[in-house]
Amino acid sequence: MRFAGLALAAVLALAGGQLAVGPAKAQTVSYAQAAGLLAQHCGGDIMKHCRGLNLGNNAVGNCLAQNAAQLTSTCAANHASIREMTEARAAAQKQVYKACDRDAAQFCPGLVPGDGNIVSCLLEASKVVSATCTASLVNAGYGQ
Amino acid sequence: MTLFRFANVRLGAVVSFARTRLGAALLLAGTAVVPALVGVQPAAAQVFTPNAEIVQGLQTSVDDVPQVSAEALRGLAQAHMKYTGPPESRPPLAVQLDQLAQINVEIVFDLNSAMIKPESYRTLGSIADAMHNPVLLGYKFLVVGNTDATGTRELNMKLSQERSDAVVEALSTTFRVDPRRLQSVGLGEEALQDPKHPDAAINRRVQIYNVGRAGALAQQ
Repeated sequence: MRFAGLALAAVLALAGGQLAVGPAKAQTVSYAQAAGLLAQHCGGDIMKHCRGLNLGNNAVGNCLAQNAAQLTSTCAANHASIREMTEARAAAQKQVYKACDRDAAQFCPGLVPGDGNIVSCLLEASKVVSATCTASLVNAGYGQ
Repeated sequence: MTLFRFANVRLGAVVSFARTRLGAALLLAGTAVVPALVGVQPAAAQVFTPNAEIVQGLQTSVDDVPQVSAEALRGLAQAHMKYTGPPESRPPLAVQLDQLAQINVEIVFDLNSAMIKPESYRTLGSIADAMHNPVLLGYKFLVVGNTDATGTRELNMKLSQERSDAVVEALSTTFRVDPRRLQSVGLGEEALQDPKHPDAAINRRVQIYNVGRAGALAQQ
């Protein structure tokens, strides 16, 4: 939770408080939001110091870290926390299968673990699944 | 027919969807399909609808989609290189992808490079969000890279494969889309969107096809 909280604080700071926060909102941000923030804050730095490298396998992230001294202040201050946002969303999505394990067995029998249908089933059964499972679905961005 | 779930909308001005039924040769399909939509520059500050339109574009409600494999598509493209005339004289690539739910995406790469430019990061993230959407979680996707006809065909083939690989790599590592759900194919300049204007920007595009259910994938 601390990790997610940090990421949320970071995105709120970056987004100038534009994101509404409430109990039903995900504690993580979408991949699109995080990726957009990276381009916004570090796009110029990436083209200058990391040209030819890609997002995949954290090549750009490693390059930014290695060139920390040369980065613009905005990029230097934010790139690590932006990466944490992506990691937080990924962790939240992975967490769903643990948090909803029992609910899946109870309310989605017949669906095999690893089948994408399980998330859809859990969402459809939202009125009866546990609070823990519901929270993890929301946090993973699967809810509203 | 419920096979088609195309939506003719703009998404952040960088993703567009083909609405027209494209006929048997989708990848060579005509000039009237998307030209008004692709290539429009986004306004500086706009509200970016996350991924609802991408999800809609990639959604399919049928299970009997044609079997399409990356290997088969690659083989077709290689075979197509035997047609040595100018691009507009070559026959269409004989692929049957028109029944698949699909989107055309404009991802901007650095010149002669597989580097995805930062301006396209958000688009990539949106594609990842869509692939993680519960509606699409159970499906596999084919990522197809295309170049225009500038430069040699061999180099274009290589470059387009590297570019589609770069997209798949970002989706599967940074954005955690299960790599077992993704395949990558570069078609070079063998499947021009606008063969009458072989160097036109519209030909430089990434296509994403929903190629059917992934089945149960063991947790990793």
